Amino acid sequence: MSIDVGALTEFAEGAIRTIGVNGREVGIVRWNGAVYAVHNLCTHQSGPICSGVLSGRLTAASPGGMDLDLSTPILACPWHGWEFDLRTGHALHDAQHRLHTFPVHVENGRVLVDIGPVSRDTAAQRVQV
Amino acid sequence: MYQGPVIDCDVHHARATDEELLEYLSAGWREYISDRGPAGIMPLTVQDGLPNPHGFMRADTYPPTGGPAGSDFATMRRQLLDRADVRRAILTFGDDSHVGGHHNPYFATELARALNDWSVDRWLSADTRLASSILVASQLPDQAAAEIRRHAGNPRMVQVMLVDNPYNYPFGHPVFHPIYQAAEETGRPIAIHGGAGGWANPASTGGGNVNLYFEAHTLWPQVVMTHLVSFISHGVFDKFPRLKLLLIEAGSAWLPSLLWRFDSEYKGLRREVPWLKRLPSEYVAEHLWLTTQPLEVSPKREQITQMLSWFDGDRKLVYSSDYPHWDADEIQYVASRIPESWHRRVFFENALEFYGWTEADLPTAASMAVA
Repeated sequence: MSIDVGALTEFAEGAIRTIGVNGREVGIVRWNGAVYAVHNLCTHQSGPICSGVLSGRLTAASPGGMDLDLSTPILACPWHGWEFDLRTGHALHDAQHRLHTFPVHVENGRVLVDIGPVSRDTAAQRVQV
Repeated sequence: MYQGPVIDCDVHHARATDEELLEYLSAGWREYISDRGPAGIMPLTVQDGLPNPHGFMRADTYPPTGGPAGSDFATMRRQLLDRADVRRAILTFGDDSHVGGHHNPYFATELARALNDWSVDRWLSADTRLASSILVASQLPDQAAAEIRRHAGNPRMVQVMLVDNPYNYPFGHPVFHPIYQAAEETGRPIAIHGGAGGWANPASTGGGNVNLYFEAHTLWPQVVMTHLVSFISHGVFDKFPRLKLLLIEAGSAWLPSLLWRFDSEYKGLRREVPWLKRLPSEYVAEHLWLTTQPLEVSPKREQITQMLSWFDGDRKLVYSSDYPHWDADEIQYVASRIPESWHRRVFFENALEFYGWTEADLPTAASMAVA
């Protein structure tokens, strides 16, 4: 079920804003022209991931390099620094770890998030390390 | 009991006298070190390690003809090579291995060159079962790389050996990368020998310079742990993907807990090392081997097996005696401490894989002939 969480203009480009949706905390991110929605729960130790830092992805073609890939939105957990790719929810160090992301689309200038049923996987994800 | 073939990956050979090396030094350096009065010739080795109250050598390894332990081939042959089916013994030098601890980088470079020639001339010619490390003076990495390439055509100069750390940076630092480039180009693995913390290094252990040999020897693995973490963090294996690394004489049971911590740190600190493509433990699984000696002694045998299994010790451990050192591990002792199902791999096959040899490449005791 898609839920209207507000006008697109209420969400600033390059920022994350956490809102309540059907009793769940969901971070809405606008990045590089796209919109993402992510559950405010780090699957590492259940930290408030949406209070973390949003950035592009640091990459390096070779040791010692430091390049910035702005096409990839990365959210780093404020608790332990684990980084996640918001396009997929996957942790950068291991695709086995992923945040719970939600389908989101923009229709007539409104942001619509499908949080679906409460995931039974969430509790299990919390204890994964 | 293990009666099968053996490759011994850490055998220390030594010069009987300083004079033995003179003919391998250039005329200029020979003159530089020459006896100019009552002081005698200049010291050729770095000797600022902590003293072992027993002495560093097993008492019975001193040759009956005189000279330091490890300096007489006949004694080594009798005590080591002919006591088991040793197909290859890899020579790792003795006190001379500490060329990286010399203050004078030019002298260190010349010593390394001369010692390698001495090793080829005096030892590899004595027995086809012997192979030698290529000793390099890491003070001048470009010249160290040239020394590695100088031996590229000799298949019995089998690995590049690093011991002392001349700078206050561990061996993964880019200043040392010319050495690894040459090693990869010539198909030689890098072997880092433990114990360098007791000699000419910035600090003998993390936390400060220890004062007793008892402390230093207990903490021996600290040095190679630092170098291993440095290798992976600085992307040595990303830059030189065909490079292999062997850690010698530092045990191995410490590795699992280091890797658990290393992987965990990577998950939170990836942004500092974005050039890494995998978990640190995955680099280790592909690029690292360790020698057995000194095999950690657990209260129960199954405990050490369990520890070693965490890093696939049956595939990653290569036997080393550390002859003629005081804490050398005998073949049958090691055989009694690890599962029998591991024996052939640890004593023989893992080293074949590490060095890229086949069994047919190596002489047998029966076929052994003086080259």
